[in-house]
Amino acid sequence: MQVINKYIKGDRVIWAVALLLAIFSVLVVYSSIVTLAYKYQNGNTEYYLFKHSIILFIGFLLMYFAHKVNYRYFSRISQIGLLLAIPLLLFTLLTGASINDASRWLVIPIINQTFQTSDLAKLALIMFLARMLSKRQDNIKDFNQAFLPIMIPVLIVCGLILPANFSTAAMLFVTCLVLMFIGRINLGYIISLVSIGVVCLGIFIAIVMNSDVTNRVGTWQTRIENFIDGNAQVNYQAEQSKIAIATGGIIGKGPGRSTQRNFLPQSYSDFIFATVIEEYGIIGGTFTLLLYLILLYRGVLIAKNAPRTFGSLLAIGLSFSLVFQAMINMAVAVNLFPVTGQPLPMVSMGGTSIWFTCLAIGIILSVSRNTENEKVEVKNG
Amino acid sequence: MTEIKKDIAWRIFIVYFAVCLFGLAIVAKALHIQLVEGADLKKKVQNRTLKDKSIDAVRGNIYSSNGSLLATSIPIYEVRFDPNADAITKDLFNEKVDTLAWSLSELFKDRSPASYRKELIEARKKGSRYHLIRRKIKYTELKQMKNFPLFRRGKYKGGFITIQQNKRERPFNSLAARTIGYERKDVTPVGLEGAYSKALSGIDGKRLMQKISGGVWMPVGDADEIEPEDGRDIYSTIDVNIQDVAENALMKQLETHQADHGTVVLMEVSTGAIRAIANLKRTSNGSYYEGYNYAIGESTEPGSTFKLPALIAALEDGYVDMGDIIDCGDGSKQYYDRTMYDSNYDKGGWGKITVQRILEVSSNIGMAEIITKSYSQNPQQFIDHLAKMNLRDQLGIEIAGEGKPYIKNASEDTWSGISLAWMAHGYELQMTPLQILTFYNAVANGGRMVKPKFVEKITKGRKVVEEIETIVLNPRICSKETIDKVKLALEGVVSNGTATNLKNADYKIAGKTGTAQIAIGGSYGSNKDSYKKKRQVSHQASFVGYFPADNPQYSCIVVINAPSRNVYYGNLVAGPIFKEVADKVYANSLEMHKELESQPFYANSAIPYSKNGNKADAEKVFKQLNIKVQSKAADNDWIMTSTLEKSVRLEPRSVKENLVPNVLGMGLRDAIFLLENQGLRVKINGAGMVKSQSITGGQRIVRGQEIQIELS
Repeated sequence: MQVINKYIKGDRVIWAVALLLAIFSVLVVYSSIVTLAYKYQNGNTEYYLFKHSIILFIGFLLMYFAHKVNYRYFSRISQIGLLLAIPLLLFTLLTGASINDASRWLVIPIINQTFQTSDLAKLALIMFLARMLSKRQDNIKDFNQAFLPIMIPVLIVCGLILPANFSTAAMLFVTCLVLMFIGRINLGYIISLVSIGVVCLGIFIAIVMNSDVTNRVGTWQTRIENFIDGNAQVNYQAEQSKIAIATGGIIGKGPGRSTQRNFLPQSYSDFIFATVIEEYGIIGGTFTLLLYLILLYRGVLIAKNAPRTFGSLLAIGLSFSLVFQAMINMAVAVNLFPVTGQPLPMVSMGGTSIWFTCLAIGIILSVSRNTENEKVEVKNG
Repeated sequence: MTEIKKDIAWRIFIVYFAVCLFGLAIVAKALHIQLVEGADLKKKVQNRTLKDKSIDAVRGNIYSSNGSLLATSIPIYEVRFDPNADAITKDLFNEKVDTLAWSLSELFKDRSPASYRKELIEARKKGSRYHLIRRKIKYTELKQMKNFPLFRRGKYKGGFITIQQNKRERPFNSLAARTIGYERKDVTPVGLEGAYSKALSGIDGKRLMQKISGGVWMPVGDADEIEPEDGRDIYSTIDVNIQDVAENALMKQLETHQADHGTVVLMEVSTGAIRAIANLKRTSNGSYYEGYNYAIGESTEPGSTFKLPALIAALEDGYVDMGDIIDCGDGSKQYYDRTMYDSNYDKGGWGKITVQRILEVSSNIGMAEIITKSYSQNPQQFIDHLAKMNLRDQLGIEIAGEGKPYIKNASEDTWSGISLAWMAHGYELQMTPLQILTFYNAVANGGRMVKPKFVEKITKGRKVVEEIETIVLNPRICSKETIDKVKLALEGVVSNGTATNLKNADYKIAGKTGTAQIAIGGSYGSNKDSYKKKRQVSHQASFVGYFPADNPQYSCIVVINAPSRNVYYGNLVAGPIFKEVADKVYANSLEMHKELESQPFYANSAIPYSKNGNKADAEKVFKQLNIKVQSKAADNDWIMTSTLEKSVRLEPRSVKENLVPNVLGMGLRDAIFLLENQGLRVKINGAGMVKSQSITGGQRIVRGQEIQIELS
């Protein structure tokens, strides 16, 4: 315990939540990976178990180092991150490896690991937003002084993500708007922007639905169509996901006993929440959901207690972004939202997504760690 | 500052509240799916996802009594290819398709690589996921295919799909084919395969399989739901060596007489075990094949072989004795409107002879006289007596399709004044060869009638599951005295009756010839008028008997149907086959041989005669026997021998590449070795030493040419 106290700082509840999610992740991924293993590794599920565990371990290392960094540095880092992210996004858009027809991925040369540049951009943008909002607090209600300089990078980043990954772009945009609302930007501006956005989106959808273009636009087209029609035959993933949830019942089929994993594509990633409910029932699903709400609640507390506005906004911005993504993923699994490609943070299999999630949690922990220190400073001083 | 903090704080709480509401909505929707939509969804699951797939049990083998494989299942494969498997990228496919096409063409040698290449590329283009490469692929071919480019990547990465099926093979091909039989879908099963289908086929297993994305079926658990239980093995009573002799002898005789069909059955006297059963039928082009199990299925008028049961009935009922004198007249006799002839009618008939002699010479009139005199007052007594000896019953053998014996009652419409006289020598009734044999076997067995059996035991692995017991149909068909009397008469048939051509010094054969006339196109026995018309007559020659006569071990029947040459007597047509089978059995069964007196060994007193052949072999033998050798063949492998007074002289025999070697005077082994080494096909006649060769030594060889060698 002393060792833990010595090295592990920051909010203990968040540490606990992260650890619980990671353990849960290993369990569910190991179970739902069977088909993948059967197809590609001659049934060697241990291969994936091992790989996933290593990734989680590295993630926790990242989390540890991030929480050791004084959060005030992240203000500067966010600028660098954003300057790095924008050209990378452009580069990915033009040349990236294509999975499911979307140019979302870049291959990191040495470790040969694909990573989604939008993950980097997302983290960098939210941090940058926290920085801008806290810096402009004095003239926060002003259009030119606050709204415009804050809005422009958001639009640039989201605009660059949009062609390759609509859902991530939309989600990030909403996250930014919420953060701006918390950061006291004039609500009138936000509402007008959303209205304009909705109109634009309507036009966009209209174009998509009437265009002959295949590729990505085609995928969106069918996805939107499927959700609107509710056509069970076509909307295979959604139906299989619902079957998983229906057969899970209250207490579930038990660990490793899922059968829908064999029919549900991406049961280890986009639809992992369905597998969770199938194996652990509504109880397990609700518990998972509660873990995220606890995470957000701790983020709220940290934000409330943080002496500086930047810390507050950083903590709430990152925890909200994370939990919001989790909510979207679960909403897709229960068919509340149309099928998007959002993984469940910390739980879904996937290398870099987990690492960026861990980084984000590490930064939140850094805020909470420094809050403790700053309070001590304030008391003493 | 605190103002700002407060302002931010309430905004944060609003957001948090909103997220919590979102969470609640998710849980609510999940519950909605479970409680409201649940039932419908669960139904869909069961239909679509789980299936009991049956795992075929391996069908058991059929062995001969000495353990040779008569029927077995071998796996054959169907190979399909998924050219659009996820893991086969465009580059990979294009890179490998040429070598794959070449490999396929090389293995099957039926089409060019270009044609295979075109086929593969088209299959990929069409989006096929289950493209048929080839059916009926042997295991060895499959093993090679597993190393082909792309295919070696396996099922998912290489799209290599194999489906296993089982094919039934008979290693001895046509040997006893109808008796071994087959079982196919929608066809009445034949032979032992059909009779023991249940034991052979085993019990199919079941495995719960689950469909996973991509249409792949995957076993749900590690263990099968029901393990398949492989079929049992069956050891038939058939002895392949004797079967082979029987079939060859039958074939030879059928060919000689250009007969329509024939059958041979060999039965073990005490157990009823069928050691050989051959059936051959002539095809339109004159060759013969196993097309129908005549021995079991064909009921015909047996003719003279039926005189034995008729006589036994009369003896048992006390109407005659073997010594009684019966007048057979001048070889022809009028019964109502029909005339009966004896075979020596042209020589003036048999005159007055004993009952025993009537059987030995097979006098029709004699038998007719005995039976009509005995039973004219009460013909049904005769019929009842035949029935008492099981002659009106089917044997009830396990192989399907046994013919029914037909012996009519005296009360039936077709019964006439001549019925008794004609039934006495095997007409107006029908029996199968196997039924006749079973009766003679009973006589050989001292009156104990046993059911023919085709299977000795059923085994599972090395464990015997069931021994097939011999079933006794009738413990005593007649008295011991009668048996002894008729046995003597049956021996007489061979020693000085109708089958003297079967006489031999080694062992005694007892039996009865039969030469029946068959009316072609008439319905046998059932209609008197058509029987009388007899526009065209064909014959059925048969011989049934047992050996050795003084201690019967085997009984055998030979029936040849419709020999088209003029020779149709049972002893001449059927007898030789009987003899050949009996000789083979006798040669193989040491227990039948009389002990030889020990003979002095003469090896040192005289120089033995030697065949020509391999020099090293010859020298070794002579050295072993301490015989002096004068060798003029220093460097040659092959030698000629000449026996001198006190030594053997070896002279070289040259064997040159591409010239037909001279094999005269050599043993068969050396001759075949030399000739076949030179690429000649050898056809052999006879046994012993090479007497002549169809291509003389020293000629230039044409590879694959046939050379005939005559041995003596």
